[in-house]
Amino acid sequence: MRGKCAIVGLGVTEQGIGIGLEGRELRARAVDLALADAGLPRDAIDGYIRAHVAPEDLRHMGLSPNFSVSMMTGGATPVFAIVAAMALIEAGQAEVVACVYGEAQSAAAITGKPDIVSYGYGYPMLYGLLGAAATHAFHAQRHMHLYGTTSEHLGAVAVTQRDYAVARPGTLGFGKPLTLAEHQASPLITDPLRRYDCTRNTDGGVAVLVTSAGRARSLRARPVFILGAGTGHNIVNWHRGLVYENHDNVAPAKARALGQAGMTLDDIDMAQLYDPFTISPLMQLEAYGVVPEGHGGPFYAEGGARPDGAMPTNTGGGQLSAYYSTGFTGVAEAVLQLRGQAGAGQLHKAETSLVSGHGMNAGVQNTWAHACMILGRNP
Amino acid sequence: MSEQAQQKQQQHRLMAAIRQYGGDVADIPFWEGCEQGVFLLHRCNACGRHYWPASRCVEHGDHDMQWVEASGRGEVYTYTVMHRAYTPDKKDKVPFVIAVVQLREGPFYHSNIVDSAHDEVAIGMAVQVVMTPHESGLTIPQFRPADD
Ligand SMILES: [Zn+2]
Repeated sequence: MRGKCAIVGLGVTEQGIGIGLEGRELRARAVDLALADAGLPRDAIDGYIRAHVAPEDLRHMGLSPNFSVSMMTGGATPVFAIVAAMALIEAGQAEVVACVYGEAQSAAAITGKPDIVSYGYGYPMLYGLLGAAATHAFHAQRHMHLYGTTSEHLGAVAVTQRDYAVARPGTLGFGKPLTLAEHQASPLITDPLRRYDCTRNTDGGVAVLVTSAGRARSLRARPVFILGAGTGHNIVNWHRGLVYENHDNVAPAKARALGQAGMTLDDIDMAQLYDPFTISPLMQLEAYGVVPEGHGGPFYAEGGARPDGAMPTNTGGGQLSAYYSTGFTGVAEAVLQLRGQAGAGQLHKAETSLVSGHGMNAGVQNTWAHACMILGRNP
Repeated sequence: MSEQAQQKQQQHRLMAAIRQYGGDVADIPFWEGCEQGVFLLHRCNACGRHYWPASRCVEHGDHDMQWVEASGRGEVYTYTVMHRAYTPDKKDKVPFVIAVVQLREGPFYHSNIVDSAHDEVAIGMAVQVVMTPHESGLTIPQFRPADD
């Protein structure tokens, strides 16, 4: 498993609010960019995974793969799609699999009439519960109760990530610093989450090309090797009555990913953790054992997630401050860092990265799928 | 469930209201109970585990699942104060509390906490059910501070 496959092409379109392109066009441009990045011809893509459930759009892209699959496990889909791509390559079903995302989320929110039931979590809508902010607020409130985590701690996550984005062109936060005082002054959306604890929907496309390590070496772009991967689903914590203490079911994902990579946490240089809300990377750092349970808040406040901290985290600004591509944000950032292409935000030590995804509205139990992978500069 | 029984369920008089608010057809007996002032939970008679919403037992599947009357009591496990209303019935009620109540029997129930100031709502607070009419036509359980 370790190092058998690699990411050899990355395409990231313009990302932002109201950029004026529809989802299909964003996906097509992301694929074009990924092909150009890899130096591969269009017909090299013989497998296509779209991170969404929707009709396929191959003709529009001029692609001719042997299969086209829609995949949806929420914000865990990008990592899961890459794992599936590896499996398909290993199974001899494809040589180059494109994992593609592209949605005009902000345009849909502005122009469309959102179907509110799809933002609901089942019957709690009778009580006014709608949207992922409230369901993540349940995690945050419980965390505060158990460990004394504060709104300032959540603010430290927002500010840390914004500081990364300030120096990164093309992000929502580029050149726009955020202070803790501004975070604290921002309105409560769903207590304890404030405006700056929440991501904003953005438009954009991302495509990632996965191929075998052997083929990767003959291509133009520096390969980023997939060293290990794992999954875990939070439904088990619902059954155990522990779903609110657990943002995700990280344990099995972590064990499998590190096991496949033959690594320990000490071997990980950075983390790109799915961050719809500030509480999310904070709780994942605890669940991965980067910090002891309950220490996520102080870790952020003391700079542990900054470039010179113990675990630089969401180093491109993350979804909170860069752009929201439903889980591809962290994948793209890890690839850039491991290739040494992160510009002013390039970390000095960037040999390996943990990347996670989280999500899926599964109803009242708001169970979150989780998938992670370890990417490396070397196989 | 037979096709006929399924069809009957779809035409249930409460179905439109349940659907409009994201509810599940499998929970119709629960909402019927609320109309009678009874708070039901779905219990596996094989092991005694209680479930909400309607579920298959993690151990025994659905071979002996039954709706049974429950205590309607529990503790606030976690909560949020919503400062925005997304559903029409809450437009003039912002801010309002949504809590996850851990019922004595074990399951979680998402509900509003009423008869209590927002800053008095706390994790661990003992609460009991109070049946309330909802604009959908359903009768819904809300929770208030427990008497004892
Ligand atoms: Zn049972």
